[in-house]
Amino acid sequence: MKRYIISRLLQAIALVIGVLFIVFIMLHLTGDPASLMVSRNASPEDIEKIRHEFGFDKPIIVQFANFLKGAFIGDFGMSLRYRQPAMKLIIERLPATIQLATAALLFSLIIGIPIGLLGGSNPNTGLDLVARTTGLIGQTIPSFWLALMLIVVFAVKLRWFPTFGRETVKLLGINFPTKSIVLPAFALSLFTTGQLARFTRSSVLEIKNEDYIRTAYSKGLPRRIIYVRHILKNAAIPIISIVGVQFSYLLSGSIYIETIFSWPGLGQLLAEAVFTRDFGLVQATAFFTSVVVVVLHLLTDIAYGLADPRIKYR
Amino acid sequence: MGRFKKFLWLLLLPSLLMLFVNAGSKEEAKKEKVLRVALTANPNSIETATGDERNATNVGSQIFDSLVWIDDEGKFTPMLAESWEIKNNATEFIFHLRKGVKFHNGNPFNADDVIFTWKRGTGENIKWRDAFTGIKSAEKIDDYTVRFTTEKPNAILLGRIADVWAILDKEYYEEVGGEDGYLAKPIGTGPFMLKEWVKGDRIVLVKNPNYWWKGYPKVDKIIFRPIPELSTRVAAIQSGDIDIAIRLTSENAEQLKGNPKIKVISYAKDRVYYIAFNNLTTGKGTPIENKLVRQAMNWAVDVDSIIKSLFNGYANPITGFIVKGNLGYDPSIKPYGYDPEKAKKLLAEAGYPNGFKIKMAAPTGAYMHFEQVCQAIANYLKDVGIDVDLQFMDSGKYWDLEAKKQLPPLFGDSWSNAIIDAYPRLLGALGGWNASYSSWYDPKIDQMLQQIVQTGNDKDRAKLYIKLQKYMLDNPPFIYLYQPVTFEAINANVKNYKPRAAESYYLKGVTISD
Amino acid sequence: MDDKKANNKNVTGLMIDEEKKKGIFYFFYYVGRLLWKDKTGLVGLLIFLSVIISAVFSPYLAPYDPLKQNLKISKTPPVWYKNGSIHHIFGTDDLGRDILSRIIYGSRVSLTVGFFGVLIASSLGMIIGLVSGYVGGKLDSVIMGAVNLILALPYLVFVVFIAAILGRSLLNVILIFGFTDIPIFVRVTRGEVMQMREEGFIEAAQSVGATTSRILFKHIIPNLIGPIVTLATFEMSAMIFYESGLGFLGLSVPPSVPSWGNMLSVGRQYITIYPWIAAYPGLAIVYTGLGINLLGDWLRDVLDPRLRRAKK
Repeated sequence: MKRYIISRLLQAIALVIGVLFIVFIMLHLTGDPASLMVSRNASPEDIEKIRHEFGFDKPIIVQFANFLKGAFIGDFGMSLRYRQPAMKLIIERLPATIQLATAALLFSLIIGIPIGLLGGSNPNTGLDLVARTTGLIGQTIPSFWLALMLIVVFAVKLRWFPTFGRETVKLLGINFPTKSIVLPAFALSLFTTGQLARFTRSSVLEIKNEDYIRTAYSKGLPRRIIYVRHILKNAAIPIISIVGVQFSYLLSGSIYIETIFSWPGLGQLLAEAVFTRDFGLVQATAFFTSVVVVVLHLLTDIAYGLADPRIKYR
Repeated sequence: MGRFKKFLWLLLLPSLLMLFVNAGSKEEAKKEKVLRVALTANPNSIETATGDERNATNVGSQIFDSLVWIDDEGKFTPMLAESWEIKNNATEFIFHLRKGVKFHNGNPFNADDVIFTWKRGTGENIKWRDAFTGIKSAEKIDDYTVRFTTEKPNAILLGRIADVWAILDKEYYEEVGGEDGYLAKPIGTGPFMLKEWVKGDRIVLVKNPNYWWKGYPKVDKIIFRPIPELSTRVAAIQSGDIDIAIRLTSENAEQLKGNPKIKVISYAKDRVYYIAFNNLTTGKGTPIENKLVRQAMNWAVDVDSIIKSLFNGYANPITGFIVKGNLGYDPSIKPYGYDPEKAKKLLAEAGYPNGFKIKMAAPTGAYMHFEQVCQAIANYLKDVGIDVDLQFMDSGKYWDLEAKKQLPPLFGDSWSNAIIDAYPRLLGALGGWNASYSSWYDPKIDQMLQQIVQTGNDKDRAKLYIKLQKYMLDNPPFIYLYQPVTFEAINANVKNYKPRAAESYYLKGVTISD
Repeated sequence: MDDKKANNKNVTGLMIDEEKKKGIFYFFYYVGRLLWKDKTGLVGLLIFLSVIISAVFSPYLAPYDPLKQNLKISKTPPVWYKNGSIHHIFGTDDLGRDILSRIIYGSRVSLTVGFFGVLIASSLGMIIGLVSGYVGGKLDSVIMGAVNLILALPYLVFVVFIAAILGRSLLNVILIFGFTDIPIFVRVTRGEVMQMREEGFIEAAQSVGATTSRILFKHIIPNLIGPIVTLATFEMSAMIFYESGLGFLGLSVPPSVPSWGNMLSVGRQYITIYPWIAAYPGLAIVYTGLGINLLGDWLRDVLDPRLRRAKK
């Protein structure tokens, strides 16, 4: 077990460094941000001076080594645009991002799984049609298009929700989001809801007709117990992997939803950083998101092990 | 089953909670006068010399004062400088400072702060340092008098000071450990003080109770919210979540017209859109070096149609880089019209009866409708035989290449201006190798510009601008396009909101009626 | 019926010509019956075919040249609105281009991106997954490490990078999706190979002296076809969806090229005033996605391993 943990840890570190390196190379191959940091009336000498001051004229390997050196002691560099430590800017955005991601995940679990269950256990009925349609629409509808429609209908016309932004109230010491989170979380959850509805449905269908289920029925076990014990367990594996993958995407922020709803999350921060060539911020965000992916991957694997004892660790 | 049910409730409860939790009480809000302003992007800094663009500098303008201010009528008004003298053909500037002014932290304001602000403004990483570097030296004559000396006569310095300078507190700067500390929590002498800055979410400013200009500001609080998405901004003003929404389109204005709770404002921005020619690098040896070809291209583009269909008529065709409101604007100078036959004739005269092939670039995501504009232009040029290979690229890469003078011989861009002299954008676009974003050099133009900046007298300068305009029309370094009209929507009970042509605004005089 | 199928498809020896002919016709007949049994598959196929026809025959189906601008008639609404015109059934966009024509031509971009993107991702993914799963050991760890690296790479940085270095073109969009979708094919392939290893097939084949290539081609790959083809159809629909996301960011094909993503991106600022500019491309995306997904569902049901194993 110890060996396993150590090997996973080493793999994780290698992954993070690998991601950082690739991102670094990609950023620097697109040119340097010096020209974006000066006014339009700057002279080429001004730009050259900035380039030199921030070390953009040094060879890439040197720049990367310097960055890694800093990263080891927790200094991920400054955001070129905000002139603030990059990590600080990311951490500031975390609560908003985590809350939105969690809310979206909750919505998709609450809506997707039951619909999938109902559809799968009543194939070829109206319920099944609803399940399949939900699955399909969720996965094909462009979320930003829907987001704008949601704002027009629910925020402007019906006034049920605020038009934009994140409002919070202090509950138990933390900034808990108000109903301002509902529209963005719903729009964000659509894709995952679709996937969950479909996979739950097909998991149910897969084992519905298996022998051991029929045996359980004939034994007289109540349907609900059969569902929980057997069907959900079978569905657990694909559900867990969907949740794992989707949650890591969600935690990296969604640029579309955040831009439309002006939700102050990581997606917007990263997008802004990329488009303004704010290298320090992009690097720090890349580090953060790769750590999130690694951690979630690990958690997903653990969850697999819990759900299906047949899986062995090599 | 028990576990499953419990699990379900675990999921349901927080979701239900979210649906019903409501923010704050509306009661409190009524007693205070709060102005909620929408920004179109996240400010990188809320100090005017380091702010990227208007969204940033406009916040800074509420927190800081400069030495002088340009009032709503366009006149220089005393701010932190009660009076000033310009001597020796605009090479010597003496400011007599206001006494009894305090910074937001209580520190007194005096000449040290002014000189410090200048020195800091010349720093390498200050974005708008060109508003400071024109000054060669500063001299503290006494605690409330400063003399600045410039290398060459600089007729536009006062305007730049009014627009860009934000007087910083020297002691506070040293206290918080310099640039990064100051920018994280800026303080100034202005009508509003920073209360809270949640990045990406909001900037909250509160009234400065000890503001030196008695009677201001009129509102208690300003909350800036970034809302980058246009449709969301419109929705926000429609639902009453926002009091001032900027950068809307003419269609939005139509939409909002009938609404009694909203007032729509429009004004022509001091910003010109153009297609630039390159004669420094990529354009060398191409047909555009010929004056007739460039004239032809100007005749080939139907700017009026573009304005009509993409902007619903809300834009003005330009005659150069000087627009109405700039010094030297002459309404008798007419823009190029649309005459494809004349264009073809000129092309033939220049030796290209069958046209030619040329590359063009345009930025994406940079300016409203600009991608469509450039596509339309490429189409018009094609109609007269010029086969344009139009390339789009994202704005970050675009400006990087532009600064390196590596964009194709034709490229679309725009330039704004904040003071009455259009000189900064003229120099910026025509400075040749000395100016990063210039792709055109014409020694005659250079000579005229030099004369302009060294002419202290406004009337004489105006005449020089007119001469330059006429030359630039005949030998155009650009395909002249348009000056856009921008639309803003404000809550009907917001009064005295007076944005400038540069899209800057000063909110100290704004009131909210009940 | 199952017997007949086994006779025609799984005979490893030579097939007499006549039987072969019967085989092909019978194949289509068989597929047709399967489709009819599960009508949603049929619906999916019809939808998908309609999109393919639209893409292949665009010049004949589209009433106008999708690139033709006419600023004077920009923003005309669809024919059933007050100011609509019978000349432009779905209206025009802000440069006066006919929306119906652009939607028809847009199917070309979507299908090309989807098809080639999936082709690249699935073939590379399958090869890598096969190698990784079959060889196992250290090579497997290294390959999976690389795959996880691709997954952890921030998508936006990668996309902006490609757009900045290589510019915006159809090819580059295909490359982006082809590359970023490799991990999912690797995982599925590898998963199947490992499952076969667990179930002892590979060992058994090796023990009777089968060569590696025989094992691969006769045993493993046929079993992969099902899941991979199913996955490929779903990913194709996803890529059409992603293309619209790229259009939103301004990083898809150049703006003049008619693509549903670009149309959505242009239409989004007009969504409350001239909703048709964004509505119809959005519907086209949902329609196509629906078709592909229904087809994929049907494929999965037909190629389900449980059914297959029962036949063996």
